[in-house]
Amino acid sequence: MRSVLCFGDSNTHGQIPGRGPLDRYDRHTRWPGVLQSELGPSWYVIEEGLSGRTTVHDDPIEGAHKNGRAYLRPCAQSHTVLDLVIIMLGTNDLKIRFNKPASEVAMGIGCLIYDLRELAPGPGGSVPEIMIVAPPPILDDVKEWKSIFAGAPEKSRQLALEFEIMADSLGVHFFNAASVCSCDAADGFHLNAEAHHALGAALAQEIEAIGWPTQERKS
Amino acid sequence: MRFAPPNPLRIADRASGLNAPTVRSYNERLVLSLLLQSSGISRLEIGEKTGLSAQTVSVIVRSLEQEALVSKGEAQRGRVGPPTIPLSLNPEGAFSVGVSFGQDTANVALIDFAGRVRYHAAHLYSSLQESPAAIAAKIEDGLLTLPPASRTRVAGIGLAVPDDANTGGHIRKLLGRDLADAQANIERKLGLSVYIQNEITAAAGGESLFGVARSLSDFLFFYLGSRLHSRLILNYQIHSGRSDLSHDVGLLALQHGLKKHGLALSDIGSEIPAAAGELYRQWQQACCQQILASVRSLLGFVNFKSVVLSSYAPPALARDLCDRLHKELPDIAFLLGANTTAPKAVGAASLPYHSRFMVQ
Repeated sequence: MRSVLCFGDSNTHGQIPGRGPLDRYDRHTRWPGVLQSELGPSWYVIEEGLSGRTTVHDDPIEGAHKNGRAYLRPCAQSHTVLDLVIIMLGTNDLKIRFNKPASEVAMGIGCLIYDLRELAPGPGGSVPEIMIVAPPPILDDVKEWKSIFAGAPEKSRQLALEFEIMADSLGVHFFNAASVCSCDAADGFHLNAEAHHALGAALAQEIEAIGWPTQERKS
Repeated sequence: MRFAPPNPLRIADRASGLNAPTVRSYNERLVLSLLLQSSGISRLEIGEKTGLSAQTVSVIVRSLEQEALVSKGEAQRGRVGPPTIPLSLNPEGAFSVGVSFGQDTANVALIDFAGRVRYHAAHLYSSLQESPAAIAAKIEDGLLTLPPASRTRVAGIGLAVPDDANTGGHIRKLLGRDLADAQANIERKLGLSVYIQNEITAAAGGESLFGVARSLSDFLFFYLGSRLHSRLILNYQIHSGRSDLSHDVGLLALQHGLKKHGLALSDIGSEIPAAAGELYRQWQQACCQQILASVRSLLGFVNFKSVVLSSYAPPALARDLCDRLHKELPDIAFLLGANTTAPKAVGAASLPYHSRFMVQ
């Protein structure tokens, strides 16, 4: 069986748009769940979504544990052996408190790739396949999050290009989520059930397109 | 430097589109060449055949997809093993024009990225003003048949030119004394790169790239035009030997004979007009003998399994010839060229693809 780690923020966690962090879609509705049913039993899909997770920043308000970089290593190591790691982060880096341009968010993603390569949690101590997913752009109206995400919608529209440049230069897989879904109007930056479904189905296609040699059955 | 910003070079290339003569990486060319040879292969197979990692293939394929040079098919499920997604060259991804210069006419052919002929016109020399500008205008006629959005996707122009010795007066007048001048003239007029090659070599190249020989690494190529010409292809390389060598057993000889009976080449269909029966058989025999002599003598030096016969002659005529040849040499496959509409012009049109997208 192959395993894929889905490392992301609230949109991987499945937070329902316009509701609180404890309101979460059920497992089958969240995109990793959709991915699991699309890929079938030959894949083991590991969900690792945390609301407020950033690429490489300790969040002074929400807490140091929101730093994706600090958690990625122990997380990847706990789940070895990994054939594929999907990283979908970046939205939270655009909060005004971090004051980062889109290009630097992409560099944050780059750090995670370097860390994964160093750790090499793939089969036989190899580097697993890595896929960066650019989150869909934040809508212009983010309701009560307006001050927190000041200037973020504009920057979020640049993420896909910056992420793709990073993916090309580091030689990893890339997928632009905006090509199949968008954020929900209820809060402007979370995915609704329909978007989760579209994203899970599309990522399953992307994963299949990578091409995986038939595995020998282990006794 | 570990966390320095990445180099955005590849992305910048994309914005410039097809027109800039982009310098493609060897790996990109390798993937494109592979897709030309075997349409519908998966990224996994590309990786296996090239030795490139899955991630490198992914980066290259994504970039080619964005440029619309490559398109994805539907996932193939239900077979043994994991589903695969077939990739193919996108026929609308690039276009190219080729011009060849025959006995009485200049042929202009426009092909898509899959090698399909989208436009073809034969212009009598007598109808052309004898200058490179006249050729440029006829090329432009062809380009204008493309929808406006596709006109930016033209990879270039190829000219298939006969060797000096065979160049008649009007071809010389049409192209001028100096081929380099003609090339520069057309380039300036149309704003596209112009590539020039010997006409028979171009026809062989076209058959190798898009035609019946696309998966053959070694074959002997005959071009049956006004005269009979040949080329040897070994390990995908076209060898021309004494390239001006041709044999007077071609279609011109047959045409002259037929004319005496008031017939033309197009009268040779599934049935041979009775009046020309004997004449046709004699010509066929002479042509076969010449081809067999070349094949036999070459087999003494090189081991090849296939012979490709390319011609614009009526299909029945060329098929007949292949059947006869195969009877004489059953170990050799005699294949009819797939480019039957203006094979030299189609070959010429493949030149820009060779230079811009393929591994040499």
